[in-house]
Amino acid sequence: MRNLLDFLRKYHHWFLFIALEVVSAVLLFRYNSYQNSVWLSSANVAVGKVYEMESELTSFFSMTRANEELTLRNFYLERQVEQLRRLYTEATQDTTVTERQGLQFLNKYKLIPAKVVSNTLSEPANLMTIDKGRSDGVEVDMGVACGNGVVGVVYLTSDHYSVVIPVLNTTMSRISCAIRGRDYFGYLRWDGRDPAVAFVEDVPRHAKFKRGEWVETSGYSSIFPRGILVGQIEKVFNSSDGLSYKLQVRLSTDFGCLRDVFVINDKSIAERVQLMEAARDSLRN
Amino acid sequence: MSVEIFKRLGWFVLLCVVQVLVLNNIHLFGIATPMLYVWFPLTFHRNTPQWAALLWSFALGLAIDVFSNTPGLAAGSLTLIGMMQPYLLELFVPRDSVEEMEVSASTLGLGKYALLCAILLIVFCLVFFALEAFSFFNWLYWLECAGSSALLTFVLIMAIESVRSK
Repeated sequence: MRNLLDFLRKYHHWFLFIALEVVSAVLLFRYNSYQNSVWLSSANVAVGKVYEMESELTSFFSMTRANEELTLRNFYLERQVEQLRRLYTEATQDTTVTERQGLQFLNKYKLIPAKVVSNTLSEPANLMTIDKGRSDGVEVDMGVACGNGVVGVVYLTSDHYSVVIPVLNTTMSRISCAIRGRDYFGYLRWDGRDPAVAFVEDVPRHAKFKRGEWVETSGYSSIFPRGILVGQIEKVFNSSDGLSYKLQVRLSTDFGCLRDVFVINDKSIAERVQLMEAARDSLRN
Repeated sequence: MSVEIFKRLGWFVLLCVVQVLVLNNIHLFGIATPMLYVWFPLTFHRNTPQWAALLWSFALGLAIDVFSNTPGLAAGSLTLIGMMQPYLLELFVPRDSVEEMEVSASTLGLGKYALLCAILLIVFCLVFFALEAFSFFNWLYWLECAGSSALLTFVLIMAIESVRSK
């Protein structure tokens, strides 16, 4: 105790100094408006940052919920748009409105949203499982796409699950792709190495295009409608027999973090497939 | 003792009046303001009780602030100077000097006095203008104001001191 008192007695002028400086600071912040605002706002910045960190943390935990709700909402909104367009067409007798809007593919195609439950990237023949099956309307040979681009084709279905062959599969039946704006088409293949890169083959040598242009599905296959994004042209090679080009395309779908996809249910698939089969049969005979 | 206090009070009032009525209105080139009242803490004799030095400086700063409508600026800065002055003085004082030596150009020597004055002035001006601006956004302007005000005040103080010591 005595040491404390001695200490206080020896250094009392420092305490007086601190006290006087505190009084000056109070005067400064109270009666000068600029210093007052800086003081309050810097205090507010500190408070704001604490609350910001807290809200980031809590919002992270509700992210999956938000994602599901958004996918569902998207689905219902698209249904609504389709219905409205049908009503509009009936009301105005104007069937060319969809061509003019450029959205005709939504008329024919119904979308079934699904979540990827298993996925591989590193094997040459990768397979993906989604959580929708026959009871949800998924059938073999339906196309699967996601918000960013094309994903693959349904290969097997059970009642509640389906197996999808993604683009990242060397044995996959090739998807017909076209260069956006130019309409030159080729077939998409994966070489089994980089999961972000695939190749469009059989592009004719007289085709004109540039690197950086976008590649999308051509609509010629009975699986995908026209216009679903595939990727961006990175490099151009000659094919192995020298008769066509082979384009190296950077895929727009990130297969590494795929969760929400949708299955494209084309009612006219059956009709087109039947027609094609009939044509081939008649040519063979 | 009481004569001492009266003398000090007299200087206090005089400095306040001169600063507020005359010197506060001088802004050379828009940056330099003479601050003659910084001379007051300079004149605390050696071994002044610390609390007395602090209280005098605070009071003078407060008085200037009240008249200049800048509450807290000069008070805070002058209290800092009042705290620093005894320590700095110990550095400058020659070894064989009186216990309660007065501080002026004649007792310390012009060179040492000038250096002591300059150090205290520069610190005061930097702190004062930093508190006034309260941000380092225009740091060049801050340095200009502090430097030029310190220089102007230094010239003024030296002039007065040389007259006094004659």
